[in-house]
Amino acid sequence: MDPDRDDAARLRRGDPAGLAGLMGRHQDRLFRYLLRLLGEETVAEDAFQQTWLRVAERIGRYDAARPFGPWLFAVARNLALDHLRRHRPESLDEIDEPEAPGGVDTDPLAHAVARQQSARLSDVVAGLAPRDREVLSLRFEEDLALSQLAETLGVPMPTAKARLYRALARLRERLLATAPAEAWR
Amino acid sequence: MSAHVTELLALAAAGALDPEEAARVEAHLRDCAACASEAGAWRSLVERLGGMPAPRPSRALVARAVEAVEGLLAERRESAWNRAALAFLVAFAWTMAVVSWLLVDLLTGELALRIERSFGPPAAWYAAYLVTGWFSAAVAAVLLGRRRQEEGRIT
Repeated sequence: MDPDRDDAARLRRGDPAGLAGLMGRHQDRLFRYLLRLLGEETVAEDAFQQTWLRVAERIGRYDAARPFGPWLFAVARNLALDHLRRHRPESLDEIDEPEAPGGVDTDPLAHAVARQQSARLSDVVAGLAPRDREVLSLRFEEDLALSQLAETLGVPMPTAKARLYRALARLRERLLATAPAEAWR
Repeated sequence: MSAHVTELLALAAAGALDPEEAARVEAHLRDCAACASEAGAWRSLVERLGGMPAPRPSRALVARAVEAVEGLLAERRESAWNRAALAFLVAFAWTMAVVSWLLVDLLTGELALRIERSFGPPAAWYAAYLVTGWFSAAVAAVLLGRRRQEEGRIT
């Protein structure tokens, strides 16, 4: 039996134990995804809470024949994109200009990972456009297959593939510009 | 190297090609050093992406989310109970109205005279009507009391 389906059925009946099970399995990856997409920790925290509320409200619409993860991410994605449209209506594809080297880092994610070995990569990822960050996070951090990626993004598979390549190409272009001697050359 | 080849190599490293495409790319890489080098660079990038530090939600954040959802579930339970109680009371009120009409008819009409001969005096029917009224009031009081208890538990 799929534990997600069991817990979703419990939550549908109003049993909080269902929520506990679903959160236990998905909270880390959901938060990571929201943080990558939204770029700010406080905003991601708010979206995290709103996502679980939305899940509890709409669990009756979840099709138990399908995996829970993509449905959860689609709920989170809609909330996050609504936020981005409200606060950055200019473009979801616009690249966030990163802080100048040595400057104060205001992005909590970049600040948190700057102390790690892959600081440069994280910095550059954080500076990409939200849609690029999203597709990279879903594919390489959440390990979604291309079909799941397309389902979560709500686009056909060829479009998902094109977005994935575009994000990779932009990332590599920026990495080469900032550190041409690294292994991604 | 053409843009199309670069795209294929990047998507191959990302595991986003279908098996046939991936097999063709692999076969090509065995004979093309330039493409093999380019593919290696993409693989390196992809591996690093998967190894980025993974931020996790704080316990306080998870606790807040759980509390918010449990509040929502409690509201739903209360709302469902209220709907059920209301439906019962409405049905009961309609039942009582119909029964009252029948009782009045029995006690005052021609039927009362016939029933009196076989089932007893109208006073007995009136007493039964009063007892039913008292009973319905008691049921309503119990239902309202339970609701007040539930509200007190939530708040």
